[in-house]
Formats: sequence, structure tokens, C-alpha cells
Amino acid sequence: MPRGRSHADKSKPSADSRQDAPVHAIWSGTVSFSLVAIPVQLVKAVEPGRVSFRTLHRKDYSPLARRMFCPKEEVLVPPEEIIRGYEIGPDKYIVVTDEELESVSPERSRTIEISEFIDLREVDPIYFDHPYYLMPAKGGEKSYRLLVEIMARANKAGLAKFVLHEREYLVAIKSANGALALITLHYSDEILAAADITPKEAASNAQEKNRFNKSIEKMLTDFDPTHYADERREKILALLKKKTKEMTPVLAPEAEVEEGEGPADLIAALEESMRQVKKSR
Amino acid sequence: MAGRTLWKGYLHFGDIDVPVKLHTAVKEERIHFNLLHKHDQVRLQQQMVCAFENVPVPREEQTKGFAVEDNKYILIDPTELEQTEPESSRMIEIHEFVKSEQINPIYFEKAYYLEPDTKAKGYSSLVEVLQELGVQGICTWTMRKRSYFGALHAAGKILRLQTLRYADEVIAVQSLGLEEFSLSEKELDIGGELINHLTAPFQPQKFINEHQQKLQNLIDQKARGEKVVLLRPKRRKATPPDNLLQVLEASLKKVA
Repeated sequence: MPRGRSHADKSKPSADSRQDAPVHAIWSGTVSFSLVAIPVQLVKAVEPGRVSFRTLHRKDYSPLARRMFCPKEEVLVPPEEIIRGYEIGPDKYIVVTDEELESVSPERSRTIEISEFIDLREVDPIYFDHPYYLMPAKGGEKSYRLLVEIMARANKAGLAKFVLHEREYLVAIKSANGALALITLHYSDEILAAADITPKEAASNAQEKNRFNKSIEKMLTDFDPTHYADERREKILALLKKKTKEMTPVLAPEAEVEEGEGPADLIAALEESMRQVKKSR
Repeated sequence: MAGRTLWKGYLHFGDIDVPVKLHTAVKEERIHFNLLHKHDQVRLQQQMVCAFENVPVPREEQTKGFAVEDNKYILIDPTELEQTEPESSRMIEIHEFVKSEQINPIYFEKAYYLEPDTKAKGYSSLVEVLQELGVQGICTWTMRKRSYFGALHAAGKILRLQTLRYADEVIAVQSLGLEEFSLSEKELDIGGELINHLTAPFQPQKFINEHQQKLQNLIDQKARGEKVVLLRPKRRKATPPDNLLQVLEASLKKVA
């Protein structure tokens, strides 16, 4: 089960923890190509693998949550009292509502319209930004499966633009192991020119190239990202394991707010994490 | 122009070292909003609040804990965490080389340009060899107290380093619980033909972020005190599964 915070709920203050939750829809709408329209939900495809700690109150070990605070009234502000403002001067803002934001590009805020298909190998990797998955919503299962299949067979990906919150994204939609993956792409004007740092003249030399060639060919393998693990994370897990043996955990008071569940058993949770890290060696 | 130098180091594989300087390769320009309080339009601040007492807790009263089970934490001291920080190093160690097309784009994270550092011997030779072989170097390095995993490749006359996501950060498709659905060969064939008709070369310059300008217009309009006409987002009706074949045929007729 995917865990962690969504990338989308920027307007809502989120608790300082990763929580067990069912697949959380970041957005819902329609993916279309030509006359075919598929109802879908956007969900995350990656999860930053940091070992997550809770920030606790030193006094009573109660977990802390991130909340928004109004410095003028000196009160905590609930989500329904939070609005979005564009700064036009010191302490002067233009308020923009969700409805107004959606209204900016009404044709794109609920539809991901594939305008053309491309060969993903033509895309310079510098363009790739953030991956998500699309899941079929009710009634869309068949046409979803069709798009997955035909793109996999043709080895093509769809290109589309769509609007999420205040941003418009250029996206590639590809077939990924039987699912649709959506990868946001950078706009070409976001790619910085490199002319100023590119070597003026190519000072390559045949002998050197020959030497590099030999070295590289010796080191040529198949790409397998599971061979690499975050060493920092491994160290933290080892530290936690050691500490669990040495000390008794502190007990936090029962809070009224449900702050999400932790793993049932630390050793089991650590074992599981270690196993996954080890496996990836 | 490339971003400023972020970090200096050297590429290393076999008995080869190439000193390089890292620069940002991508810069996103976007309109930024602040979160305000509805009543008084005062800009809000983030605070850590005690779930038990419901009061803001200053930094010096905060500590870190790892949840063992509900409400039970193992306390961790910041100095203990510091000890897990990777040792600083200037080496970008290339462990292996792979064919470029083998890297699933889902792994790509952030791109950097590598500028040859003074007397960067071998830089241009490496650029050419990587391109001629169509390979990328899979490497790890430590930068700003974090360990990175990335792919080195060449584009034009320059080397680039792209950070990669760790494999266990990518959520498996299996966890989505997608169901199989049988499709007829006819549906698949017409769908495939439709894709062929709609295929174009990738031309990123064709796509401009039009939304940004429209959003700026909206803000300007509101700043002038003009009324904003609200447009409802358009939703498309889902293609009924039983009509899929007809809709595909109609689509093909439209583009063919």
C-alpha cells in the first residue's frame, strides 16, 4: 500500500507523518484521444524513501502537526478559512479562488486530451519531471485497457496538456506494465541554455577515446536500479534497530485527533525495510 | 544561460578521472501564491502544533521520534542523525554503463549540466564515446550531506548528470490493483491504426505554457477591480464500453 503525503494538497496543512492510506486520488477527470474519453484518477507513482520521523513535543511526547497560524489574530486557522493570494505589494494581495483558477483554462482542468502520439525515445531525458499513474474510474476500465494495450503494441506515448491547481503541465502518457503512467515534462523554455559552459572546441583525442571505449565496454551491463540503495537510509535503519534494543519507547498521550497509524511492530517494520534494502543490493 | 555552479567534483571510472562543475539545467518560472486568512487577508505562517494540547510548540521544545506502534516512539537525537550523514566526497563514481534506452523514464529525477573544470582532460573524449556507444554511466555521489544515484550522459558537446529515483521509491503497478479486461482484436487493430494516424515527431517547442499568461491576465483583471466571468470546467462524457468499437471507427474516419 502506498504511503505518504500527496503532492497535491498544497492548500491543506498536512500532518508531519506518513500515513497508511488507500491510493489517494490527486485529481480526477478524463483522458481522451480522438473521440474516446476515459474517466480516470491521477495517483502518485513515486514515494520519497526517507525514513520518516515524527516531530514530538519534548514535554509530553505528543506528536506535532503542521498547522497554519494567523500572526495577527494569533489563532490557528482551519483549512476552510485558508485562501490563496497573489502578492502585489507589501501585505497587499489579490485573492484568487479555486473556481477562478479552474476557470482560467476550463477546457483543460478536467480533461487530459492527447493531441498526438510520439516515440518516447525521441524525448531528451532532460524533459522528464515527475511521474504519476492514472487509474480507470468507474466505467472507464475497458477503454483504459485499450489505451494501455495499443500504446504498448505501437511503442508510442500520448502527449497532452492539462491543468492541475494553478499550473498547466505538458505530459506524456505511456503504457507501464499494464497501467497508464503520466509523466510531467518540462516546457522547452524551462530548459536552460548550456552554451556558456560548453567547451568551445572539442579537444577529443583518438588514443584517449580508445582507452575510454575499452573501459566502458568492460563495464557495460543491463540497467537494474534495484542494485542501488540509499546508504543514508540504511544507516538510519541500522541506528533505529540498535536503539530499539537498547531503550524503551516513550509513550505519547492519547490525542483526540487521529494522527494516523504507525507500523504495528518496529522490529517487523525494520526487518521489512532492511529486507527490501538488502534485496536491492 | 546555465545556472550557477552548485558543486564541484570529478567523474571516476576505471583509471579515469574527469573534473567537473555542476550547474542547474532546468528553471521553472511560475506564478506564486501565498496562503492567507480568509477574514483579514493576513499571510499565514506554518507552525508545529501539539496534537494533545493544541498549542504551537517552539523549536526548542521539539524532538524527533520514530513510531514503533500507536503513540509509542523511539526518541532520536539530532546528533545521532548527523552521524548517519554520508561522508563528504568529491567523487562521482561510475559503477557501470547501460544502454540509454534501458532506463525507464519514470526513474529520471533532476538534470544537471556538467561543465569541464579547469584542465578537464578527457571531457570531450568522454562526450564523444558516450554518444557513439549510446550509453549512460550509472553512478553514485555525495552532495550536500545526501547520497545520490544518477545517470551520466552526453548531449551535443556537453555532459549531463541526471539524478535517478531509488527503485524502492517507485510504486509497483501491481499495488494499484488494476483489473484485466478482454478486448477484441478488431478494437485493438483500429486503436493501433488510430495511433499511427495521430503520431508526430516530438517537438517540444510547439508547446507553450499558455495557462501562465492567462492566469496573469486574471490577476491583472482582478487587480483593476474588474468582474471575472467564471467558466465551468468542461467534463467529457465517458465512452460507454459497449460503444467503444463504434467510437474507435468514427475516430479513425475523422483522421484517416
